[in-house]
Amino acid sequence: MRCCDLEALWDEIRDGAAPRREHMLAHLRTCPPCQEMYEQLEGIAYCLTCLPVVEPPQSMVPKILEHLHATVRSARKPDCVAKIGSPIGPLYVAFRDTGITYIALDRSEGEESTLDRIGRRLRRGVVLAQAPKWVSDTIEAFFRHHKPNYERIDISELTPFEQAALRAAAEIPIGQVRSYGWVATQIGAPNAARAVGQVMARNPVPLLYPCHRVVDSSGHLHNYEYGLDVKARILELEGYVSIRR
Amino acid sequence: MSALAQNLGDYRLTVPAPSTAHAPARPAGPPPGPENFEGIVDDYQRRLYGFALRMTGNREDAEEIVQDAFVRAYRALAKMDPQQRAELRLQPWLYTITLNVTRNRLRSKRPTNVALDALADPDALLNETQEGPDQPEAIVDRAADMVLVEGALLSLPMHLRAAATLRFIEGRSHPEIAEILNQPIGTVKSHVHRAVRILRRILGPQVGRIVHADDTKEISDAVL
Repeated sequence: MRCCDLEALWDEIRDGAAPRREHMLAHLRTCPPCQEMYEQLEGIAYCLTCLPVVEPPQSMVPKILEHLHATVRSARKPDCVAKIGSPIGPLYVAFRDTGITYIALDRSEGEESTLDRIGRRLRRGVVLAQAPKWVSDTIEAFFRHHKPNYERIDISELTPFEQAALRAAAEIPIGQVRSYGWVATQIGAPNAARAVGQVMARNPVPLLYPCHRVVDSSGHLHNYEYGLDVKARILELEGYVSIRR
Repeated sequence: MSALAQNLGDYRLTVPAPSTAHAPARPAGPPPGPENFEGIVDDYQRRLYGFALRMTGNREDAEEIVQDAFVRAYRALAKMDPQQRAELRLQPWLYTITLNVTRNRLRSKRPTNVALDALADPDALLNETQEGPDQPEAIVDRAADMVLVEGALLSLPMHLRAAATLRFIEGRSHPEIAEILNQPIGTVKSHVHRAVRILRRILGPQVGRIVHADDTKEISDAVL
């Protein structure tokens, strides 16, 4: 029985769960330094229980409920989907008041299946519509100078990690690529390269959030929801020349 | 049972008992879902706010964290199928969400440095908590002590702060904490231990003074 064992097991001793508890208590009775240490540790636990319990402001619950009701209302309203031509073929662009929510490339599967696919991913209804000017301008601007206006893209439904990863990808200069590990490091999670890969694979707004600029650590294109040919074609359009399959 | 063990047992009575104080608030009834979510908000808002406040040391942050956590919980519940809802352990799940939101928020704000700065200048912290010049001395002293304890807790790295808060302020068991933090029990125990060691180093002799200043508490007698 060493004094440092007692310190390490103090929390379990007070829980009554430590192995050889009686043995330790016997030691405690005969060891003044351990008694002092035990008293201090108990004192710290006691001090923490003394911290005042602070009631939340009365306005908090009404605010939460209001926020929830707004979420429900907005979730019920379907997104509009417009079909817009582009240098890489027709795009189906889903949007609502808050911005562009989803981009699907045409897989020649037909309009109805594409809308189904978008609705399943967004988990709400979608309706075909004409593209308002701000939507077609955003897409056109992307193919003109590859820098979209991010205020017109709504990724607020993604998790903070997903949002951070996509924002980091948007920092990659046009005509260049970076690795999944680079994105992970940028967002302060250097071990999360694989998780970043998952986020890129599920990116709801490809092109605008440029997951195509993220490649594996050896510089190979690795993967793309719409195939490596499409990924290579987009990178070519952006002026990236050293494409490695 | 030995006299010492008996006394240790007595002392433990002053700490919230893990097994009963936090029994699930909704043990029976329908599984959690969007349709009974208002009740869930009602049941858990105080606890989650208290937890977020201890983790951030800031009331506005705590309020926003709790709001955000409930909205996330609602969205996640809405996407779950009935079996997932039935199997969901609501309370630890809500704490996990609250902790994740707190982490994301603190990561961008880095308030730990603020807490450390404040600790280097306890007077500054004290001035923030004194509301008027006419407070009786004992109350001011008590408030100053609590500011010290709060500052020490906030100066811990976030994972240790979470472990210490759940263990000592919330009075949770090691398995419960392991579930909330998604860590092995051994890791939880080690984090709790490291947190207490650091708090002991920071608070040092203040601890005895704080405990003895409280005339409802006779720690020496209780422990030995």
